[in-house]
Amino acid sequence: MAVTYSRNFLLRKLHQLTGIVPLGLFFFAHMFTNAKAMNGEKVFEKAVQEIHDLPFLLFIEIFGIFLPLAFHSIYGIIISSEARPNVMSYNYGRNWFYLFQRITGVFLFFFIIFHLLHYRFGLVPGLTDIAVAGNAVGSFQIVANDLAIPWVLAIYILGVAATAWHLAYGFWLFAVDWGILIGTNAQRYALYGCAALAFGLFAVGTNAAFSFLRPCGLLPAALCEQPVKASSSAPKSV
Amino acid sequence: MSTNGHIEKKRLETPPAKFKLKIQRREKEGAPVTWDTFELPYRRNLNVISALMEVRKNPVTADGRATTPPVWDMSCLEQVCGICTMVIDGRVRQSCSALIDDLLIASGSDTVTLQPMSKFPNVRDLKVDRTKMFDHLKQVHAWVELDGSHSLGPGPAISNEVAQERYALSRCMTCGCCLEACPQYGDDNYIGPQAIAQARLFNMHPVGKTDMDERLNGLMGEDGITNCGNAQNCVQVCPMSVPLTKAIYETNRDITVNALFGWLKK
Repeated sequence: MAVTYSRNFLLRKLHQLTGIVPLGLFFFAHMFTNAKAMNGEKVFEKAVQEIHDLPFLLFIEIFGIFLPLAFHSIYGIIISSEARPNVMSYNYGRNWFYLFQRITGVFLFFFIIFHLLHYRFGLVPGLTDIAVAGNAVGSFQIVANDLAIPWVLAIYILGVAATAWHLAYGFWLFAVDWGILIGTNAQRYALYGCAALAFGLFAVGTNAAFSFLRPCGLLPAALCEQPVKASSSAPKSV
Repeated sequence: MSTNGHIEKKRLETPPAKFKLKIQRREKEGAPVTWDTFELPYRRNLNVISALMEVRKNPVTADGRATTPPVWDMSCLEQVCGICTMVIDGRVRQSCSALIDDLLIASGSDTVTLQPMSKFPNVRDLKVDRTKMFDHLKQVHAWVELDGSHSLGPGPAISNEVAQERYALSRCMTCGCCLEACPQYGDDNYIGPQAIAQARLFNMHPVGKTDMDERLNGLMGEDGITNCGNAQNCVQVCPMSVPLTKAIYETNRDITVNALFGWLKK
């Protein structure tokens, strides 16, 4: 008997896949770029310029980020609307994670819209009207000016926390839903791994946000590239 | 050793003279919900069913109003048939094995609250219609085909490991606890852990395996296995300790290998 796929089956599988392959990978790349702010303005602006120099950038943005993101978030909202949370009656860890995946998902839907309007397009009233995209030179200052506002910084830290957890637990869910993780023990150890990953991503993202406010973020400055003294770079003229 | 998730049986040190039974009532399907509270004299070793039997003898509420005796389902009275399942103090379980002492100790109050399961049509009071679960068994082809009543000789050998796992899956009594506790199940949008576990039971059978495609098809529909949200409440509330989540994830692997990427073998 031939196997037939229902529309719902394929959409769910696609939802699970888009969360990992384009979006998960993109988030790692994003945090990696952000973390370069630790090493100062020049390093960060060079990183932004390198992104601008990528070939097929518009195609990557549309097919690698925007379309998967739109699908994943809109279909995710539909999935979340089917949930009947019952954590009060059935107070189990995995049941809370189930609810938390949906809460972070809905929060991220709004956070990502804000984030895109803010730094990608520069359209949030009261904040920067110059987008980071297309303005590699000066991008550090654009980001730093707005992150100096406490509520903006708080929103970004919450956003990083929610993304880190949603993605790390998403890896776990993917492994479970595709039949990779089966046994109870395997699932438990993998969950510890995912929790560690979530914490790591959160730490990197938060430190990157603070790097725009003080050199090396929250870490001791000795861990970061030391600013080169202007006098030593130019040969002394006699 | 406890073989299920139920709490150890304890006794009240100083039992109250009386306790209350708060019951959700509904005259018939679609009728509005009402609540009745009955007061009963406490006695040792009462369970929810024997308390309901006491109410049935004299159906007068705590405020002195005569009413109809509450309706509920029961049969085996030893937690193997599953029909007396209801929501007791907010948690789904069999009422025959729910001791009043345990419930009063756990809630710290003098009232036990009874509700019918919310995910099934409510026939009357605490009685629900579980037909859907049996429809789901048909949908996933939860049986082994035989092509006649003649002798087929000895069956194929099964490893001890597989036999053990199949035995655990075969303990399912179709009570509905897993579906009631599942945050994804409801309004026919998800087939639920019970039917998935039974599909797994027959997919593990050496002869039943030949119909695996049919079972996987039954699980890949609009209400299929991908709607599982991995909250894993099912395995926590299952009174028969059926390895429901393992069955779901083993089936996920079968689907990934045989269905999702099956076309790569052609």
